[in-house]
Amino acid sequence: MTKISRDEVLHIARISRIALHEDEVEPLMKRLEEVLSYAERVIEAGADIEEPSTKNVNIFREDLVVPQDPEPILAQAPEREGNYFVVPVILDN
Amino acid sequence: MNSLSFATVKQLREQLKNKTISIEELLDFFINRFAAYDGELGAALEIFDKEWILKNSTLPGPLQGIPGLIKNNIAIEDQLLTCGSHMLEDFRSPYDATVIARLKAQGGAIIGRANLDEFAMGSSTETSYFQKTKNPWDLSRVPGGSSGGSAAAVAAGLVPWALGSDTGGSVRQPAAFCGIVGMKPTYGHVSRYGLVHYASSLDQIGVFSRSVYDSAFIFSLMAGKDEHDSSTLQVKSKDYTQKLDGTLPKGLKIGIVDNTLSAEGMDPEVVLAIENGMKEFEKLGATIHHVTLPAIDYSAAAYFILSRAEAASNLARFDGVRYGFRNKQASTLRAMYDETRHDGFGAEVKKRIIVGNYVLSSGHSGEFYDNAQKVKRLIRSQFVDAFKEVDVLLMPTHPAPAFKLGAFDLDPLQIDLQDYFTCPMNLAGVPAISVPCGMSSSGLPIGFQIAAPHLAEELMFKVADAYEKATPWHTMHPKGY
Repeated sequence: MTKISRDEVLHIARISRIALHEDEVEPLMKRLEEVLSYAERVIEAGADIEEPSTKNVNIFREDLVVPQDPEPILAQAPEREGNYFVVPVILDN
Repeated sequence: MNSLSFATVKQLREQLKNKTISIEELLDFFINRFAAYDGELGAALEIFDKEWILKNSTLPGPLQGIPGLIKNNIAIEDQLLTCGSHMLEDFRSPYDATVIARLKAQGGAIIGRANLDEFAMGSSTETSYFQKTKNPWDLSRVPGGSSGGSAAAVAAGLVPWALGSDTGGSVRQPAAFCGIVGMKPTYGHVSRYGLVHYASSLDQIGVFSRSVYDSAFIFSLMAGKDEHDSSTLQVKSKDYTQKLDGTLPKGLKIGIVDNTLSAEGMDPEVVLAIENGMKEFEKLGATIHHVTLPAIDYSAAAYFILSRAEAASNLARFDGVRYGFRNKQASTLRAMYDETRHDGFGAEVKKRIIVGNYVLSSGHSGEFYDNAQKVKRLIRSQFVDAFKEVDVLLMPTHPAPAFKLGAFDLDPLQIDLQDYFTCPMNLAGVPAISVPCGMSSSGLPIGFQIAAPHLAEELMFKVADAYEKATPWHTMHPKGY
């Protein structure tokens, strides 16, 4: 049975870049414990299986510059200035 | 006009060819079907303007003028690509997915966008930000998911074919719930370019249709190598309908997967339907062999871990900077990321991202992610071994017919286990097709699935077609449409 602490949930939410409001923490802890306790069965199943002997193969293509109009892409930006995306202040004083 | 509602693509092509109906009349007919019936069904997020549809389906080809509905995680140039999410509510795709480009090039009339679980994460189409889709056989029940809008529309006779995506069963399970045909190709047989990623090592685009012939027909038009998707396989295109003559290959060996029929929670009516199906196959000349795939019992857990892990990585791109929703109250970049993702994603998506990052995080990836990868290889090898003994495998698509809307609100783990019989094929990468095989006593459709070896779609279609032509299940339609 996987146990999840409050700090762990807050840590994972932080690295997931998802804000968690206070009332969301407790239900999420419960759900995580429940689903991970189910998923734990792979640990037992995987114990006797060897590491893969085959490796994935890279598939390459030519690295060519293809001219493309940036406007349709930039037009989707929530906020822009010319060819730049605008974001809120990065360094918080 | 009712004969048009439930006509197959094949029949509609005949009618267009014989000029008993024009392309414009056919389009008007189906646009009117959506207007009349989709209010209560909620299958489509949008039906496009008639002018736009006609303008984009002018190329003469085998699919010319035959309308199809597209799951809204597949890119259509200039149209909204919402993925059923607030995050992408206003996002318009700047390009066509490869499958859309290929079907347009064959004349296909893209009629609209189908509802789905948010980012294809769900088994009931209840997690869509926009609306819940109902099952046309019983409006108090779900159509399945995540491609529920596509399945419900085809089942209700609103459109003759539709596309969905299948990561753990999201085409086959709704096809079974709605009494239609749903196929998932071999991994890499159809390009994923323009399909919004959920779990990239498992995702495949699949077809919904009224007949196995139509499924093979649409699949033939979209399959094959694509330079935009390096995971596509080097396969020559061919016409997969050629060998569909209603017969089984001589000496066909069908493996019934015994441990699925005895699994916990199996509805006896589903078991009976599959046993009757086995008898039907024997009448058609096949021999039935009993097979056990013990790794299936670990599939749901392995699928669960791998799909959430890949989702956590794939959905990292939604950050409010370049496109999509942004929380505009946040005063710092960091707060903007955190609040954008808090507000833009629904509860199910956020839960999956957090589970995914947990199983990938240092200290846990060894236990969870690495073992899930090992189990994935075990499942694949058990399928490969089984196909040394038998030609195709037969098993239920789902343990029971469609469930009620909200049935699992208080027991969310059960909804996570909806992929139990379908996700093994995604993990193994083999093709599978769900075909109607019975009706429950309460009047709900039942489906089984036929799985074939890697790239053996031709055999898979042939076996499914012979069964379909010998049985009445595919001719049954929900009342009131």
